[in-house]
Amino acid sequence: MARILVIAEQRDGKLSEATIELCKAAKEIASGLGATPAAAVFYKDDSIAKEVAKYIPEVFAVVDAKLGAYDADFYTQAVKAVVEAQDVKGVLIPHSYDGVDYAGKAALAIGAGIVSNCNKAVVEGGAVVFTRNTYNGKIQEQKSVKTDKFVATFEKGAYDKEAAGGAGSVTAVAVSLGDSRRKIKEVIATMAGSVDISQAKIVVSGGRGTKEKDKYNDVIVNLAKKLGGEYAASRPVVDAGWTDAARQVGQSGKTVAPVLYLAAGISGAIQHVAGMKGSQCIVAINKDPEAPIFNIATYGIVGDLFEVIPAMMEALG
Amino acid sequence: MKIVVLVKEVPDMESKFKIIGDAKIDESQIAFKMNDFDEYAVEAALQLKEKFGGEVVILSSGPDRVTKEVRQAFAMGADWGIHVNDPQIDEGDSYVVAGALVKAIESLGGVDLVMTGVQAEDDQAGLTGVFVADMMSIAHCTNVVKIEVGGDQKSLTVNRELEGGLNEVLEMAMPVVLTIQSGINQPRYPTLPGIMKAKKKRLDLKKAADLGISALGADGSKTKFHKMFFPVSEHKAEIIQGDAKTAAKTLVDKLRNEAKVI
Repeated sequence: MARILVIAEQRDGKLSEATIELCKAAKEIASGLGATPAAAVFYKDDSIAKEVAKYIPEVFAVVDAKLGAYDADFYTQAVKAVVEAQDVKGVLIPHSYDGVDYAGKAALAIGAGIVSNCNKAVVEGGAVVFTRNTYNGKIQEQKSVKTDKFVATFEKGAYDKEAAGGAGSVTAVAVSLGDSRRKIKEVIATMAGSVDISQAKIVVSGGRGTKEKDKYNDVIVNLAKKLGGEYAASRPVVDAGWTDAARQVGQSGKTVAPVLYLAAGISGAIQHVAGMKGSQCIVAINKDPEAPIFNIATYGIVGDLFEVIPAMMEALG
Repeated sequence: MKIVVLVKEVPDMESKFKIIGDAKIDESQIAFKMNDFDEYAVEAALQLKEKFGGEVVILSSGPDRVTKEVRQAFAMGADWGIHVNDPQIDEGDSYVVAGALVKAIESLGGVDLVMTGVQAEDDQAGLTGVFVADMMSIAHCTNVVKIEVGGDQKSLTVNRELEGGLNEVLEMAMPVVLTIQSGINQPRYPTLPGIMKAKKKRLDLKKAADLGISALGADGSKTKFHKMFFPVSEHKAEIIQGDAKTAAKTLVDKLRNEAKVI
């Protein structure tokens, strides 16, 4: 029977949560297609393959000393080898930093169409139809592939994690890896600064809508101080140098889950939401009524943050 | 150093979007601009040229109006450009567009670096750069946040952004494709003399036939578009009404007495 194959992801030997989410996606898609769910794990030993087998019935382990850390060329070669050796219909890859780096290559290597950055998949008339965000999350589209096989990458959180507990099989697949054109020198931490915003009970966060450094300081920093919380930012604010990287919330920054998260001038792109959606109470202030941040907020004010925040300061007394 | 920068025109994401017939956005309502990530790529290329010499060529695929973004890159300091203007390419998916871009790059007869944004703000697919590298049979790195050129000017050390503020430091031999992440630099604003010069810079126009492109339109694509729609959220915020002052007062009251979080 054809397989829907999850390509597992790890960093420093730790299996990613996105991989576990995709095990559920593989089960759903496989059930719709009359296929079977499986996973492939590329690592220096079979420890991660054994772990993935708790979430999916069949695991293929490619074990090679070259696979200790992710590499685009090695992963592409390994995907091609497993797909050729087994009956694989679809390949599911996390839309993570590593996934984005090789999924397109892997698709070309196996002659498959790819739909990337998906958040849902349904089987309609024997074909898998993928839903994905476009236009900064303002519009969604549906796409499918025209090729026999497909590759799809999924954004984090698209599927729930299932609990571990299964006892899947682990089968070794021998792959003769060639060369890589990249050489990893080291992995470094770049978030400077000693502040740890993830410990704060109240976080006031500003985005592109705060317009400039002085204005960001004026509204965001001052409101945070008034509320006894920490100030934070979405990526554009850090990119522009208005505050330090240590205060960035989102996929490429910190994950926070405070009691109160106030997002001002932040549209709510998925990368930002990934870092704050666990907050207990979310307040969104944005002049764009269609900003996706209002979809996850508890309270929202559609308006100019430069009017609303000073008025809040006054109301706080 | 010969550098090609792939630039895409995208809608301003703060535009008011309207969907026509479940199939496309109403472009008459939209202001267009250069993809943010590509602007960082243009700046990164210009900085390399300033340090090591050579030229920066802008390559863009799209309708007539994309000349505005190409000229913007010229005004920033890029040397010349190629505009691939063919509706049959625009109707294709990332695979078709990447194939066309590769043909245009190959027409230059060898380059050291291809740079582009990590993704386009409209498609959010992040595929073009990776496809281009694979189709050219050269290496690539995505999400690049730092570039250092080796002493021999034949190799690069780049930082690839990872989750949670980590960077992977990689060594690669040129030619390579780099997809550039935002924040790698502060893109310059075009100067007035730059804007004047940009008007006179060379911009070659190419059709699919000029480049010998075979995969075109929906037929040449590997994916099929079904429809587009506005997302329906299961959970919508309670929108607090009133002018700024009233709304702010109500919000503070709700945070104190309803949510009890302050």
